[in-house]
Amino acid sequence: MSRIVKVEDLHRTYILGKVEVPALRGLSFEVTKGEFVSITGPSGCGKSTLMHLIGCLDHPDSGTVYLDDINVSKLNDNQLAEIRNKKIGFVFQTFNLLPRLSAIENVELPLIYGFFTPRQMKEKSMAVLEKVGLAHRAEHRPPEMSGGERQRVAIARALVVEPSIILADEPTGNLDSKSSEEIMAIFQGLNNEGATIIMVTHEHDIANCTKRNINLKDGQVLADQPVKQVCLPADRS
Amino acid sequence: MTFWEAITMAWKDIMRAKMRSFLTMLGVIIGIFSVISLVTLGEGMKGFMYEQIDKFGTGPTYMEVHGGKEGQLAAMATVKMTLSDAKAIEDRCPSLELVDPRNIQSGKITYLDKSYTSPFISGCSPALMEMMNWGVSQGRFLSDVDVLGRKKVVVLGQDLARKLFGGFPAIGEKVRINGSKFLVIGLFKKKGSIMGVNMDEYVAIPVTAAEDVFDTDKLAEIGAVARSIELVPQAVAEIKTVMAERHGKEDIRVDTMENSMAIMDTIMSALTAIVTGIAAISLLVGGIGIMNIMLVAVNERVREIGVRKAIGAKKRDILVQFLTESVIISLLGGVIGISSGVGLASFIMVIIGMPLVVSFWAILLATFVATFVGVVSGVYPAMRAAALDPVEALRYE
Ligand SMILES: Nc1ncnc2c1ncn2[C@@H]1O[C@H](COP(=O)(O)OP(=O)(O)O)[C@@H](O)[C@H]1O
Ligand SMILES: [Mg+2]
Repeated sequence: MSRIVKVEDLHRTYILGKVEVPALRGLSFEVTKGEFVSITGPSGCGKSTLMHLIGCLDHPDSGTVYLDDINVSKLNDNQLAEIRNKKIGFVFQTFNLLPRLSAIENVELPLIYGFFTPRQMKEKSMAVLEKVGLAHRAEHRPPEMSGGERQRVAIARALVVEPSIILADEPTGNLDSKSSEEIMAIFQGLNNEGATIIMVTHEHDIANCTKRNINLKDGQVLADQPVKQVCLPADRS
Repeated sequence: MTFWEAITMAWKDIMRAKMRSFLTMLGVIIGIFSVISLVTLGEGMKGFMYEQIDKFGTGPTYMEVHGGKEGQLAAMATVKMTLSDAKAIEDRCPSLELVDPRNIQSGKITYLDKSYTSPFISGCSPALMEMMNWGVSQGRFLSDVDVLGRKKVVVLGQDLARKLFGGFPAIGEKVRINGSKFLVIGLFKKKGSIMGVNMDEYVAIPVTAAEDVFDTDKLAEIGAVARSIELVPQAVAEIKTVMAERHGKEDIRVDTMENSMAIMDTIMSALTAIVTGIAAISLLVGGIGIMNIMLVAVNERVREIGVRKAIGAKKRDILVQFLTESVIISLLGGVIGISSGVGLASFIMVIIGMPLVVSFWAILLATFVATFVGVVSGVYPAMRAAALDPVEALRYE
């Protein structure tokens, strides 16, 4: 099986004025293709920081991140932007859609920074919107949508570039339980089709929907074990 | 991101807050508007002046001697020039080809029961005809014999002849000017109006006869034509020498065609300088306004910038996005300024009946300036946006 992510002895310390806040303190693991990994741990243990490092949004103080066997620590800003654009699909807790753009325009956004014709952009975006069951709301803007729908648009935006890995930071953190289940069903469906997913959560129910759990504490791996996956009915009415 | 995508994106953002965008443009609009409207008006005015001089028929070797100092109105001059002054100029200025003494007064001209008050009854010499390139359509113009003999003969403009005689032949009829009988010997060709004066109401009589009916030998002006353009300055000097000798001091001035055009140019460039100054200040203020609004826009969209970077926007993409927006705002202001400036100038030109000359270079320059203002005022905000750290930007509330 091919390796998608490898992190090695990651360290990241924030400096707040004169106080040093160590967020990650020597953290290593690997993720192979097709895995569905949940990352859990108490608030402030460094989960988001880790996601930012894997997602090439931030540089570690020391240690290495490999993505598709590329050492991303060695890349410059433009190359990192390119990696984010081609290999990574981000899903955020707060959706982070642009409110004045329609659903389909939001989904097209990553493609604008690549090389696609308007027609290709439309087709690709429509296909992923269909995948998350929102083709009929393509022209609606985020403020006209429910939280669950917004998160599905965000997932479509992550999928549209056909990324190597999907990074989701508490994607259900702002959703009610029914919407959460819908979102998790979508992730499970994607994983069954072969997508590699790393998902941060602090809810056990959510972690139980994945196949592997990495538990963090104080910026270090406390436990890394397989999960007996609870399968959700993939019904999207 | 293609150029076109950047433009559509910026356009959407500008249109989202129309009022704010418009107010932001206002400085640029006012600056460009004032320059364009003045330049267009000035060009039109110049074109009008040239057209009028052309119509006058005299060409660049023509000049007029008036009593009084430079810049003084001819009508207010108290200096008295007479026929003998004109004679002296004619005899003693070798650079001159033609000299025409003019004793001009307003007066009443009557035929049977019809009477008309003409503002220009001009006592003049045969030289006038050649000097002005005018012509007679019927009969003949004044001759040297008419002048020497103080003959009471008159040449009438077309419109005046029609007013007095209707369709009937005028030549051979007698009209009364200020009570004295004058024989109509010719009619001028149609000339139209020049500077708002209807030249077809012109009345020409021998300058000697004018002395008799107006009861004064004071000339209003002396027209003269130099032998060539090169001789104009010399002719002016000769006239001044002769007159200074005769009057004991320099109490006359010589207005040349070149002079009038130069005065016009001076006035125009002074006006242009003032308006350009105002426009420059307006553009500066406009540029600062755009910079300010762009900084606000960057602050409002920190989160958006974070999202765009997270999904793959490079620094350059963010820079281009904000720079495009500021350039479009400024350029749009420029376009509005140019079109309203040209619009106002055309409106004025049409109303006062002057030719419309739209300067291509002024428009090109204005477009360039607007773009420049957009770039200069957008660079700093756009660089700030591009430099934002994506993680920080995503955490921004
Ligand atoms: N930009 C930052 N500046 C300073 N401290 C930060 C910053 N981001 C995170 N931290 C601190 O680092 C630690 C880990 O944060 P984070 O990775 O967001 O944790 P989690 O997502 O697990 O809640 C926390 O103590 C947090 O306060
Ligand atoms: Mg977090």
